[in-house]
Amino acid sequence: MASNAASRRDEDEVCPVCKSSRYLNPDMRFLINPECYHKMCESCVDRIFSSGPANCPVAGCRKTLRKNRFRKQTFEDIGVEREVDIRRRVMHILNRREEEFDSKRAYDDFLEQREDIIANLVSRIDVAKTEAQLQKYAAENMQSIRTNQAIEAEEASSFQARMTLEQEEARLRRQAVRQEYETERREIQAGREDFLSRLASGSSTDAAAIAREGHKVLLKKSSARRSEEERIRQKQAALRSDTKRVSNLSAVEHAGGADTGLVKGLRKIKTPEPEKPYDPFMGYVPEKRDYYALQSYYPSQYLDPIRNDARMLAGGYDLREYYSRTLLEAFAGLSCFVGEEISQRDANISKSTATEGAAMAVESGENTA
Amino acid sequence: MIEDDIYRASSQYRLWSYTESSLQSLRATTNAVASERVRAALRRSRETHQSTASSTAGTPLPESNTEAKNKDEKDVECLTPEEELVLVRYYCEKTLELGETYKPPIPTMVRATAIQYLRRFYLTNSPMTYHPKSIMACALFVATKTDNYYISLRQFADGIPGDTTTDDVIAPEFLLMQGLRFTFDVRHPFRGLEGGVMELQAIAQGQGQPAPHLPYETAEDLQQGLLSIAPPPVPSSSMSDRIARAHGTTRELLKSAAQMTDAYFLYTPSQIWFSAFLLADRPLAEFLLDVKLGGPVTATIPAPETDENGLVNPLYEIRSKLHHVLTECSTLLQSYTPLSSDPAQMKSLKRIAKKLYHCQNPEKVNLAAQKRESTQPSTAVQSDTGTITSESETERLAKKRKLEQEQIVRQNDDVFGPELVTQRTKQ
Repeated sequence: MASNAASRRDEDEVCPVCKSSRYLNPDMRFLINPECYHKMCESCVDRIFSSGPANCPVAGCRKTLRKNRFRKQTFEDIGVEREVDIRRRVMHILNRREEEFDSKRAYDDFLEQREDIIANLVSRIDVAKTEAQLQKYAAENMQSIRTNQAIEAEEASSFQARMTLEQEEARLRRQAVRQEYETERREIQAGREDFLSRLASGSSTDAAAIAREGHKVLLKKSSARRSEEERIRQKQAALRSDTKRVSNLSAVEHAGGADTGLVKGLRKIKTPEPEKPYDPFMGYVPEKRDYYALQSYYPSQYLDPIRNDARMLAGGYDLREYYSRTLLEAFAGLSCFVGEEISQRDANISKSTATEGAAMAVESGENTA
Repeated sequence: MIEDDIYRASSQYRLWSYTESSLQSLRATTNAVASERVRAALRRSRETHQSTASSTAGTPLPESNTEAKNKDEKDVECLTPEEELVLVRYYCEKTLELGETYKPPIPTMVRATAIQYLRRFYLTNSPMTYHPKSIMACALFVATKTDNYYISLRQFADGIPGDTTTDDVIAPEFLLMQGLRFTFDVRHPFRGLEGGVMELQAIAQGQGQPAPHLPYETAEDLQQGLLSIAPPPVPSSSMSDRIARAHGTTRELLKSAAQMTDAYFLYTPSQIWFSAFLLADRPLAEFLLDVKLGGPVTATIPAPETDENGLVNPLYEIRSKLHHVLTECSTLLQSYTPLSSDPAQMKSLKRIAKKLYHCQNPEKVNLAAQKRESTQPSTAVQSDTGTITSESETERLAKKRKLEQEQIVRQNDDVFGPELVTQRTKQ
């Protein structure tokens, strides 16, 4: 990236720490540390920080630096470099996505808020407070941050994949076109040679017929080629739309996150209710009774003879069937207070329909002959 | 309580349970609609009568005459809902008697079902439209079918006093079903009574089991409790004897009083048999209730039983409510006196019958004929032109049908089935 002008100016660049200049040492590389963004040459970094963390050698800067954090400067302007770093860090934390917001407006507010934070950090306004906010947010929304990062990474990789795919396609297309052009040219040439040789060998009367024939063959070939081309194009279009759909799906899937203190207007996530265990009888337990416990034997002078009567029992009759039925009927509806419940029901149904129903019943009763 | 929910699923609860007021208003509406129709029908019949009379006479009737007619037509007095109710009750009693005439008599359960059918039918239909006499027989016949007590129609019709044909019995059948809203299930208190008596007998013999909500009582406790209740109004030799006696009395009550009153509409079967049981032997019935729901309840001493949550014990609540409902139901059952035993009531009944004769809807009198007409309209038309031809026609058709039938039977008789290729045999 270094342009010629820059390299020329670099000639007399001097390391602020060891004062060695590029003029003496052309291989000199400058490194910076994002802690304080003070520039120094590679040899200085090696010399000072090889044995562990140390203070910045620049006078007045007492930041503790580590060697592994040193890196090459991307931008010439150190201010830009710093801003980009801050931006990257903040974006990394405040990585809400548009789908997560209720409205476009809320998302825009979020973007603005993010820009404010970045601007604060860059221009060193309320740094401590902003940092605290950021840290708090990061701690609270660890989960969503991580998922959003994953989505972003996925998107990036899919974008990459798409780009390579497109490039590959373009290359193939170009190749196909070139090949086509080649074959066409060769064919035309061959056709023309053939045509000439036939003209040369044939009689003069055939000349017109031969000329027409040659023309026709050429035409046919080109139309066939055109249809082939069309087919390929359709195939590629289908492929493209396919991949697009897949990427859309993956993007929409993840959304949500609780409304936090910092970010407003997030969409509420609806956590699906946990499924209850399946109850085939809807809360009804077949053998459970509230008024009585069914016994296997009840003394009764009418029923006792049946218990031992082969004629009764041969058909599979079981006296317990009778017991369960009679006892159920003895108590079924005992605390079913009709007067109360029916009047309540009628009120619920709403008066008009109830009387209508009754009237209709009367009508139908009276109508029939 | 699960048993109550089971009962709530029945059609008797869903469609045939009413409050006293709704029952009354429904009967009033039915009566109003029916009287209006009766008046309209009478007017129509009079008009047709008049027009035929005037056409035969050739001269219009004097004005004063028609006016007078109009006046007395307006004066047609229709039955009131109360009178209708008395009439229906009389025919309910008749249904009981009718069941008795058969050999063997039709079971009580079937008769009770028939009575309930009648009562249900006359909630939305008026005796002025359909005379209970014709509906009664049909209801009993339908009841024999729904309660699985088979009698052939011919046998059934023969059992009815007077010359009732089979057609007369089944003519209003569909009508009746429609009136019943096609719900044939009637929950009777009879079987429930058997269950309650069975429980009591088991307790009396020391084999009882406590109710699921009061599990701390043992069989001995229950037996002791049963033996220590207040003595019966009529002294009896043993506890099981006492129970059997109470059983018999209750059964009689259920057969008569429960059928002839609105008990089925207002209360559930178990409440009905409990109230009848209360009438028969109060200490015994209260003991059974105490066993099932716990805690004696008296109207004078309201015991605010609360559990540790400060809530009123739900069983106690049910018990006190039930006390109220059962008292109501038993007074209703007690209020019943058979019509035939009361000369004053018989007198008013005769008056009502006479009145009904005048306000009977003339268009709905002969149900059997109407049914025949509606099912065979073509023959009815033909009979006007010439009966002989139509009869010969039907005879010919019958013969043809018979021949076809015979052919099919013959073919089916062949072990290897009918011929596959008929043409080959012909050749």
